[in-house]
Amino acid sequence: MIDLKSKNIPTWCPGCHDFIIFACLQQAINKKEIDLKKLVIVYDIGCSGNMADFLKVFGVHSLHGRSIPTAVGIKLARPDLTVIAIGGEGGIYGEGMAHLIAAARLNIDLTVLVANNQLYSLTTGQTSPTTPKGAKTKSTPQGAPSVPVEPVSLVKTVNPEASAVHVTCLKPVEVTEAMVTAFGNNGFNLVDIDQLCVTFGKQLNS
Amino acid sequence: MNRITVKITGPAGMGIKSAGLLLAKIVTDAGYYFADYSEYPSLVRGGHNTYQITFSNEEVFMVDKTADILVSLVAGHEEDRNNLWEIPLPKDIYANTFSIGALVFRLGLDKIKAKKIIKERFGDDLKNLAAFDEGYDWAFKNSKKINIDAPEGNDNKTMIVEGNEAMGWGLVKGGCNFFAAYPMTPSTGVLHFLAKNQDELKIKVIHPEDEIAVASMATGASIGGDSAAVATSGGGFALMTETISLNGALGVGVVYILGQRPGPATGMPTWTSQGDLLFAVFAGHGEFPKIVLAPGNIEESFELAQKAMNLANKYNVPVIVLTDKMLCESAANVKELSKEKLIIEKSTKIVPGQGFYLYNSYEHDDEGFSVEDSEPAKLGVEKRLKIVEEIKKDTPKVLLLGSKNAKKLIVSWGSTKGAILEALKGRSDYAYLQVKTVWPIESEVGKIINGFETKILIENNATGQLGQLLKSQMNITFDKKILKYNGRPFFPHELKEALL
Repeated sequence: MIDLKSKNIPTWCPGCHDFIIFACLQQAINKKEIDLKKLVIVYDIGCSGNMADFLKVFGVHSLHGRSIPTAVGIKLARPDLTVIAIGGEGGIYGEGMAHLIAAARLNIDLTVLVANNQLYSLTTGQTSPTTPKGAKTKSTPQGAPSVPVEPVSLVKTVNPEASAVHVTCLKPVEVTEAMVTAFGNNGFNLVDIDQLCVTFGKQLNS
Repeated sequence: MNRITVKITGPAGMGIKSAGLLLAKIVTDAGYYFADYSEYPSLVRGGHNTYQITFSNEEVFMVDKTADILVSLVAGHEEDRNNLWEIPLPKDIYANTFSIGALVFRLGLDKIKAKKIIKERFGDDLKNLAAFDEGYDWAFKNSKKINIDAPEGNDNKTMIVEGNEAMGWGLVKGGCNFFAAYPMTPSTGVLHFLAKNQDELKIKVIHPEDEIAVASMATGASIGGDSAAVATSGGGFALMTETISLNGALGVGVVYILGQRPGPATGMPTWTSQGDLLFAVFAGHGEFPKIVLAPGNIEESFELAQKAMNLANKYNVPVIVLTDKMLCESAANVKELSKEKLIIEKSTKIVPGQGFYLYNSYEHDDEGFSVEDSEPAKLGVEKRLKIVEEIKKDTPKVLLLGSKNAKKLIVSWGSTKGAILEALKGRSDYAYLQVKTVWPIESEVGKIINGFETKILIENNATGQLGQLLKSQMNITFDKKILKYNGRPFFPHELKEALL
């Protein structure tokens, strides 16, 4: 297995599920034997996006919500590349929702990995697009007012030909398998990855 | 007379502009120079649309406001009836070709050559040719030819292009092979032109979901190795500012065409303004290098779009081409742009396949890894800003025209150039300075301006934004500011009066 880790030690909280996604992604790239010269990873802003510093793979750490259109631009310029976007549900289902829908409609060959912990955690725990209705968070002390986004059914509704799957960090083998499958698909792939924020997640039980 | 202005009016959908551009082609074919200008409200059918053209045997820099011949294609569009030529036009879509037939006779233009142009434009729709003939015959019987100085050739400037198309050519001839845009007047024409000709011009063209995606995709494409450009107007540009800042952080060149129209907000979508200069210069949070170029006419729209691509490739910074509705949607006769030389500046950026690099929106070190310690943070800032001095040596220089004995200087940027050159025809008391690179400002600009006794600023906005910039950067003050901010460009007679 090729070591894809950079010189930087991950800064995630001890026990963070981003470590699982980080490990699964390295396994999946190796398993799929992707040529590193033909691989670009685009990172959103958020805890998961901080993976940009921990991998030694040609990358772009873009802006909050803009990892998808940046990745689309790279793929349009270089159709020969494998292009992966990684972000949290805040960037992908919130700030960048229009881009998710547009990329799914375009069915462009891209894999979008979403670390979905139902919270904005890098900004210390506010409601996110997938927070359950009624959950008390720092920005919604009286309970989140909206119903959560259902990403898999949303993408399938937008374009039945696009691929969208839901996996959980509690089953890392399935996470790796979902990534491997997505890298092999021609077309748009969403891998929605359920994870727990070990620091702010307990708010969700309120 | 050596100069004549024809104005055609009517509701949207009657082919006002189409008729006008036919006339432009006919006079160009005859060997005249021309400038034109059109007005229309933001709607698809109805309203009051106008097209006016001034042509002459010498170069025309800007149309005259008052028409020598006014043709109204439909009753109710006669404006002030000043110089109205009442023609018994058919009440159908052939009114425009009928009017062209009549005009061709009255303006003493060649009938056979004109018919050839009509045929090229409308193909085998014989009704257009018949309407042209009827118009010509009617004018032959009912009007007198106007005596206009014979054309002396137009220096092979026989290609008729609008500013938008000229910029499209400029981008392509500067190596652009990726273009994204979300439609917005007045720069939509760049998208139409490049989309229509994408195969022939070997350029990828995409119309994404919003302007943020437009700028983000262009940035991604540039990282992928393409030479990328976008086009928009103020509202769309506002959405792109986060990406302009990103370009600054990443060191990724993208060209932004910004066609100004009056703001704030939706403003007046189909009218003209120079209200976004300071917005363009200061677009994007944080401190990073950026280039803003401002063409003054259609030829410069080509040249500066091409130069913008070259600068974006060479310096890996965002480059804004700041133009306006007056230039975007007006046409002129220029040299054949398709035959212009392709100038491609070799890119210095790292692209996928060339080893590891992280394009990082966070402050970063040489490999792209994030830094927060004080010393590397300071180095990151300094590394970004140090290329500004190199950029200054490479950007288009100011244009200084006029007599060496002039004691008075007019300073302007962008599309006001045309009316200024018209107003200064035959005068030696004024010199004229056109600032082509509005950012970063060349240090020589201050010396030039301060060499004159009287300094006059002309801008198509309400607050004299170039003046503000020159005051803040070089402590230059103007003795007089001539400003116009009603959605209309300066016309020659207005400046002639203002500069008496």
